[in-house]
Amino acid sequence: MSGQPTGNTSTVPRPATNGITSSNMAPSQQRPNDPQVGSSSATNGQPGSASQSNLNNIVIEYLNKKGYSKTEAMLRMESANQDADGRSIASRAGDPNGAKYGRAFTSMRQWIEDGLDIYKPDLRRLLWPVFVYSFLHLATEFSRESREFYNKFKSDFENTHTDDVKALSYISLPEHVKEDSTAKLYHANKYRVTVGQTAFYNLILYLESLEKDGSGGGVLIYIIHTHLTVVTVDRSADERSGLAALLHRAKTAEDLPAEDEGIPGHNPGSANVDQSTASTVLPRLKLGPLQKDADLKGDMRAELEEADAKEPPADGQSSLVQHFEQQIKREESEEGPTRTELQLPPAVARDVQMEVQKVREDRDSFKIETRTGGVGPGVSVTMFTFHNTNDSITCLDFSEDNMLVAAGMSESYIRVWSLDGKALPVAPGMTDQKPASSRRLYGHSAGVYAVSFSPSIASSDPLAPSTNSTHLLSSSGDKTVRLWDLRTWECVVIYKGHDSPVWDVSWGPCGHYFVTGSMDRTSRLWRTDRIEYLRLFVGHDKDVDTVYFHSNSLYVFTGSCDKTVRMWNISNGSPVRMFTGHTGNITSMACSHNGKLLASADDVGTIILWELATGKLRKRMRGHGKGGIWSVSWSAESTVLVSGGADGTVRVWDVAPGNDATGQGKVIGEGGAGQKIDGNAGAAGAGGKKKGKEVVVTSDQISAFPTKKSPVYKVRFTRMNLVVAGGAYMP
Amino acid sequence: MPVWNPDNIRDVAESLGIASLNDLVLDGLASDVEFRLAQVLEEALKFMRHSKRSTLTTNDIAQSLRALNVEPLYGYESTRPLRFGEASIGPGQPLFYVEDEEVDFEKLINAPLPKVPREISFTAHWLAVEGVQPSIPQNPTTADSRNQELVPKGPSANPNLAAMSGNDNVTVKPLVKHVLSKELQLYFEKICSALLDESNNEYRLAALASIRSDPGLHQLVPYFVQFIAEKVTHNLKNIFVLTQTIQLTSAMLENKSLYVDPYVASLVPPILTCLVGRHLGPPGDSLAHFPLRRLAASVLSTVTRKYGKSSHMLKPRLARTCLKHFLDPTKPLGANYGGIIGLQAIGGAEIIRASVVPNLKEYTSMMKDVLDDETRNVEGDMVIEALMEGLLSLAADTVGVVNGMANGHAKEMKQAVVEKIGNLMAEKVMETGNSRLVKAIVEC
Repeated sequence: MSGQPTGNTSTVPRPATNGITSSNMAPSQQRPNDPQVGSSSATNGQPGSASQSNLNNIVIEYLNKKGYSKTEAMLRMESANQDADGRSIASRAGDPNGAKYGRAFTSMRQWIEDGLDIYKPDLRRLLWPVFVYSFLHLATEFSRESREFYNKFKSDFENTHTDDVKALSYISLPEHVKEDSTAKLYHANKYRVTVGQTAFYNLILYLESLEKDGSGGGVLIYIIHTHLTVVTVDRSADERSGLAALLHRAKTAEDLPAEDEGIPGHNPGSANVDQSTASTVLPRLKLGPLQKDADLKGDMRAELEEADAKEPPADGQSSLVQHFEQQIKREESEEGPTRTELQLPPAVARDVQMEVQKVREDRDSFKIETRTGGVGPGVSVTMFTFHNTNDSITCLDFSEDNMLVAAGMSESYIRVWSLDGKALPVAPGMTDQKPASSRRLYGHSAGVYAVSFSPSIASSDPLAPSTNSTHLLSSSGDKTVRLWDLRTWECVVIYKGHDSPVWDVSWGPCGHYFVTGSMDRTSRLWRTDRIEYLRLFVGHDKDVDTVYFHSNSLYVFTGSCDKTVRMWNISNGSPVRMFTGHTGNITSMACSHNGKLLASADDVGTIILWELATGKLRKRMRGHGKGGIWSVSWSAESTVLVSGGADGTVRVWDVAPGNDATGQGKVIGEGGAGQKIDGNAGAAGAGGKKKGKEVVVTSDQISAFPTKKSPVYKVRFTRMNLVVAGGAYMP
Repeated sequence: MPVWNPDNIRDVAESLGIASLNDLVLDGLASDVEFRLAQVLEEALKFMRHSKRSTLTTNDIAQSLRALNVEPLYGYESTRPLRFGEASIGPGQPLFYVEDEEVDFEKLINAPLPKVPREISFTAHWLAVEGVQPSIPQNPTTADSRNQELVPKGPSANPNLAAMSGNDNVTVKPLVKHVLSKELQLYFEKICSALLDESNNEYRLAALASIRSDPGLHQLVPYFVQFIAEKVTHNLKNIFVLTQTIQLTSAMLENKSLYVDPYVASLVPPILTCLVGRHLGPPGDSLAHFPLRRLAASVLSTVTRKYGKSSHMLKPRLARTCLKHFLDPTKPLGANYGGIIGLQAIGGAEIIRASVVPNLKEYTSMMKDVLDDETRNVEGDMVIEALMEGLLSLAADTVGVVNGMANGHAKEMKQAVVEKIGNLMAEKVMETGNSRLVKAIVEC
């Protein structure tokens, strides 16, 4: 058995007698007295294994004396399986090969499927981690069996853990286990899973009996105890995970992993990955809007009064000043970051003008109310379709003043067009440049993966200071970020720091700051006037694919292909939240304008809404096809979400929480070949079969607008609640 | 089954001069190579995803290798597919290699430059307006999007949401495409009965006025078209009904809010029937049908003026029909008459010049018998009158100053006119003494 991890029954705690409370692992909603089985249980004092057989003898003597003959017989039978050290003989003499993993896993699966319905959904969740760790164990020791094991059982998980199953498929040697990123991730962390108390105890008892039969249940127990953090909950006590909710979930056939499940083991909604210091208390967030300083407020008020005098409000409309006062009042009722926490340069005329314009647009915009009487709002979408792109456009961005559009190219350049076809503005001194409606920006030496316009707003007053976009940021595969001036059309600054391609860049809502995400697994915060980064956000296990600023500038979100979203405070660089629940790589995110919700979208077609304050999942919205949701955007009132993706559709979503207790949108329709109306069954059969499981539309989708063979790269709600979408036509 | 099997390793080893390798080593190397390939592919897929593409390119692989600190493979490009050659190094031992094209340097240099690819451009359109997708060419048709799952279905789906996006009633198809409201049905019946009411003139005129000006009648257009066609087919002997239907047609054409374009094709036959029909009106009355034909001709002229542009075949087809009826001696004079005024209505002077004048001589020679015939000369006079009118339109069409006809010229002129249009008409023309007309005819 040398080096082979076997089930050491003496160190495996009997759960029924082992009520360790490890509050550090309890989810916040859980009562502290819930019994848990944690990894720390091994520290519990167990009789030294050397004295095990002596003890048995003493007990047998005792039973004999007292005449408990049946008990004695039972004890003799049970202890017969153990050697002098108290180790189970079966596992010690166990198969010299890895076949027992397969056998044990088959039995366990069988037992779970034959068991009571109420336990099934719980226990099924254990299958995936047990499968992974069994496989990794096998790969380290018996490469040949690992392949058999993998092929035999992978089909069970291909739907739910597609990417991981694929990633594991190439592992076959011990060195791979040490090197492969996915394997490393699983090895370095414990898989956290929540199951019902009773169900879990029953499973352990069953596995122990399996061990006695010599079917290798011990190896699974060993795996569960070394690699899993099993949080047991009392199903009857907790409403959210109660029996009713459980059965309900089972009925909806939602077999996605739960939000509190996965690696690295963490507390739902907490960014505390480190279990030793984990606390159940979440860091408090200041989600309110950024406070305006007194000077700015005074300037704004004066400007607004002037504007009111110039054009008095129409009937039934509040004056701009009134509207502004209301806004201020609302802002003060919520706690937002202070100016000391978030340092910004003093406001100049342009800032005042922008704020004034914001107040005006907020008043005059086309309001999208929440769903009234079950009817979703009808939004209007303008689609900009790019032609002759040859698939070279990698990213798009529209400026917030709706004047410009920029496209990053895989051929290392950036192209900027004016949306209205007029000549682009040029700085006064630059007379040598011909007026043109589009310009190319050269400088990067690898594909451009993100472009972002500095904050701007359309101005109605030609005499006021310009509020148009002045700068453009671009991130590239050449590991740099560049800042371009949109007057001189030149690169002004090169920000170096990342040592891998930079996947995404995003301006803060006030300008001045920006955040980048890179393949080097870090995200960095920068200020435009410094070439060094200010903060380094480290924690993701894989590339940071997408970044987004919170609407008050104090926090940033990072989405990664480790399938998690993290939230960081930029004033001290600390992680404050972590959101797990995605099953695909995160492709885009957007924070609502009221600062309370985050929408994150992945490449399997799911959008998840997160409540920032509690750190909980609000709902899952599905409908997009596979291949990435490239962009999501919130309406000005934060009541409607719009998304666009590789499946060539723009979809509009209702963000109100569903009636469902589980927080997961109910699945209400399955697409596929069955519903095709036309008769060509032959053609539909091949393509349709695969589709059947993939295309599911949840009921909170308000509408879907397909484009003509154009994947949608960017969608954006303007401040006036019109949707602007951009995509490339792929004939 | 691994993609990269030990045999490949053995082949590579042999090519490097390592003759024998332990099987265990082969196995180990094979699975390791596969693992490394997977690593490279995983990175490459990231580059693909961030370029928002759905096809992996060789460039992605190159970038992935660079990211993994491996020297990329140069010389591969995605623009043309790789061609694999096969060579045999022994029985049953095929060897595959990438075929490298041999390029003549001279040729390459002198070859014309490839075309510059088209400039990237963008177009804007409405993908949705107030939650509804407009059916414009830029948006996919419903047939295209049917395969996509766009809207939640099933019992718990919100029907209002579906209705918002215009996708309600997808499963239940109504038998009638659109349903007429009660009011419209009533209106239609009233109009029809009013039109055919011979006794009440006022009532009839009110009905026509309503059709001429009411805006909300679009749904009734097909019904009116059908009504007209039916009445014309069944009432050829009844001048009154025919007149009313033509009136109705002209009223519909005059209504600005009606979109009659798609129905022109079905409106034209009844008009033509009234214009060039063989026998219209009660058999005894030989003159009653002429006003009807005249009316039909005026409607026809409205039709060609309004819709001639949108359907370019309309004018020639109408002209051909009219010409056929004008020149067919077997047809009654009424039909000839209809043909003449029809031609004039369609094309004015131009068409008279092109197709009537050249045929006049022939036609009038035949007319002589008719005029001599007591029973038919009334009709004959009408035809002559119509021809005369056509010729007069020629005069109106010609511009330029015409000097008074010099006496000396008169004879020559007459001769020319006679030659051109035959005796009968020439006399009529000369009777008018209109020098401009004479000149126009001669110049034809």
